Amino acid sequence: MRTIRVWFTKTGEASYISLLDLQRVMQRALKRSGLPVWYTLGFNPHIYMTFAAPLSLGQESLCETVDFKTEEDGYDWDAAAPVLSACLPKGIDVVRIAPAALDANDIAGAAYAVRYAPRDAAAARAAWEAYNAAPSAEVVKEGKHGKTKTIELKTHLPTARLLVEDGGLTALLRLPAGNTLNVNPVLVLGWLEDASGLPVTAGRILRTDIYTKTGEKFS
Amino acid sequence: MDEKLRAALAAVQKPGRYTGGEPGCVYKEKDRVDLRFAFCFPDTYEVGMSFLGMKILYEILNKRENIWCERAFMPWVDMKRQMEALDIPLYALESKDALSRFDVVGFTLQYELSYTNILAMLDLAHIPLYAKDRGEDDPFIVAGGPCVCNAEPLADFFDLMMLGEGEVQLPDVCDTIIQGRREGLSKKEILKRLYKIEGVYIPAFYEVDYLPDGRVAAITAKEGAPAVVRKAIIADMNSQPLPENFVVPMIGAVHDRAQIEVLRGCVRGCRFCQAGFLYRPMRERNADMLSRAGQNLCANTGYDEISLTSLSTSDHSQLETLLDDMLEWTPKEHVSMSLPSLRIDNFSESLVRKTTAVRKSGLTFAPEAGTQRLRDVINKNVTEQEIERTCSLAFDAGYTSVKLYFMLGLPTETLEDVEGIADTAQRVVELYYQNPNKPKGRGVQVSISVACFVPKPMTPFQFVGQDTQDRLREKQQHLLRSVKSRKISVSYHDSRTSFLEAVFAKGDRRLSRVLEEAYRRGCFFDSWEEQFRYDTWLEVFRDLGVDPAFYANRAIGLDELTPWSHLDYGVTKDYLVREYQKALNARTTPPCNRQCSGCGANALLGGPCFAYN
Ligand code: SF4
Repeated sequence: MRTIRVWFTKTGEASYISLLDLQRVMQRALKRSGLPVWYTLGFNPHIYMTFAAPLSLGQESLCETVDFKTEEDGYDWDAAAPVLSACLPKGIDVVRIAPAALDANDIAGAAYAVRYAPRDAAAARAAWEAYNAAPSAEVVKEGKHGKTKTIELKTHLPTARLLVEDGGLTALLRLPAGNTLNVNPVLVLGWLEDASGLPVTAGRILRTDIYTKTGEKFS
Repeated sequence: MDEKLRAALAAVQKPGRYTGGEPGCVYKEKDRVDLRFAFCFPDTYEVGMSFLGMKILYEILNKRENIWCERAFMPWVDMKRQMEALDIPLYALESKDALSRFDVVGFTLQYELSYTNILAMLDLAHIPLYAKDRGEDDPFIVAGGPCVCNAEPLADFFDLMMLGEGEVQLPDVCDTIIQGRREGLSKKEILKRLYKIEGVYIPAFYEVDYLPDGRVAAITAKEGAPAVVRKAIIADMNSQPLPENFVVPMIGAVHDRAQIEVLRGCVRGCRFCQAGFLYRPMRERNADMLSRAGQNLCANTGYDEISLTSLSTSDHSQLETLLDDMLEWTPKEHVSMSLPSLRIDNFSESLVRKTTAVRKSGLTFAPEAGTQRLRDVINKNVTEQEIERTCSLAFDAGYTSVKLYFMLGLPTETLEDVEGIADTAQRVVELYYQNPNKPKGRGVQVSISVACFVPKPMTPFQFVGQDTQDRLREKQQHLLRSVKSRKISVSYHDSRTSFLEAVFAKGDRRLSRVLEEAYRRGCFFDSWEEQFRYDTWLEVFRDLGVDPAFYANRAIGLDELTPWSHLDYGVTKDYLVREYQKALNARTTPPCNRQCSGCGANALLGGPCFAYN
């Protein structure tokens, strides 16, 4: 049995699909695609799937992954990508299908681009520059069971790079992601809202890459 | 997706309801079609996306190159608030264009308590509520679905209603509008062409006069419209392909599975059941066609569950063949089958085997009434022995929970009939413990769900008045007192919602102001308990001087002109009267496939409904 990894985008309308719903969507799409997917045995057979580092609702991504299992050797997975794409909703495009090289537990970080429309660009620049200059940026993270935890964002993201794109502004950040520690970019945007009044909803979050502990791209 | 919409979506509970983009949804170039149709379901996305009728018509309209059919649902309270605050007009999910930009906005009327949602949706779309206030540039606002058999309380809001089955009728309506527009006709001129299509009813072309006591005096057709509008019907169901593609919701719908409609109508003639009378005569599809369509549908959608839907699936004459055909492909394609409407009286051992082969869930049965006498009154021809036999079969097969559906407030009902409900449940419990094959070491759970009877137009019980709420509550209490076992649980409906349902089911045009005023005062999502504002409704009735009991609780004379007497579903009024009188004498009527009782609906087919031998 081998593990096959599907890389896909999750943009536009599809960014509002929750993880639970995505599981159902992917289950049906894999079924429709006719790919040689392994089903669990037993009374209610289903496809065994794992999603690595799932996104929050409303955030977009160019680099989501889902793994499934197959008993097939030497299958032409390159040709399978457009077939699976055709079975998926708007905003989910399959970029690549290939045997998994690394373990999802190796994921340690993710890169994000936070994009602002031209009319928010000036305010966004001021807010982000204030972040970059601040000696400390603490936020309170709500954990499970009502517990809260204070996080110093600066240890994870000392500064963000700012780019001007089409008159708008894009902030590039890299944050911890994965099973051990996960810092949601929304926490940084929340800090900006508190510190400078820049609304969280002004920035559109796009995940662009996933990295391992050693800093190489997850594959 | 524009920024305002993104801001709204960021602030609501389930944004997936409002985004569209599901697998199977259809996109077209809006400039390259002749007509844009917005199919509106006046309830939440999850409820609407369960509805088979929408899937059928979505596929039929979108197969036409020059028509683009999109979908819209009633936004939940949080989204409605966001849309109002951010000034986002109600839009269709595919294009995100406001409904006001469509040529036709069509609502399906499935239940009376969704009426205020229709007003809310029009209002959210910035479309004037009343037909008379809309101009040439506004869309045609049209309606279909079972409630148009008496949607008189909504008559003032709609340009057009469609009686009967839409598969052929709706494309005809669209074509007539396209043609009329091309010729530069006014809306009114187009409407005057539309009423020539079978089942098309233009409420504005009928004048209703009332007697001093509030009853209808006369209904007069104007503008050359037909005096009586007769429903449209698909005579041969095999002529209509089944949808082989569904828009597959990504957030779970209430019924999130593939569905094939095995037959339409029902042979049974239960006297309370409106659907049973509206969709007469019963017509089946071939087993072979059904199995193939189901297989394609599962392949195209990726669904792993398929339901054989209809009012009474087990009455299909080739049911066993159909199940066998389907068992040829369902296991290897990882699909399970469900039969949602099994009937007690023909629930066979092989049926139990075939459907539990793939899936085991609780059993549900609807005896509807607790005594044989009352079951004869309502013509629910189920005997005590049949209930017992079925439960034994089910327990043999390993089921441990049974859900029984009943109604309270049926015509001629006495407290003894109410006790009969508890007795029936008790006997099921006893049967379980007497069954030697029952699952080891497990108890039985019998739940009784009790609805309040609502008299509906076009049925033999249209003449009866609904029990008052006091009386219904008294009966509910009596039932609770009669249940003795802890193995039996009872749930019952709120009699207040049933009362309102009765008012609007049998209402007339004078109720449109009530609907409007109730909506203005914050009533919508009335079928959702947390949103139901009964006190507001009562205030509105009082302030407008309308007596709701006149509609709900008053018995209608057998010779009285009803608000729906100009609408014809094929069943004659004589027949309804005859059936009503038989009911009062607890005399039953055989099912149509055994013997024709002459209801008149065969005229719709131009010949006998069944080949009796
Ligand atoms: S005409 Fe006879 S068989 Fe046909 S629907 Fe009516 S009662 Fe049934």
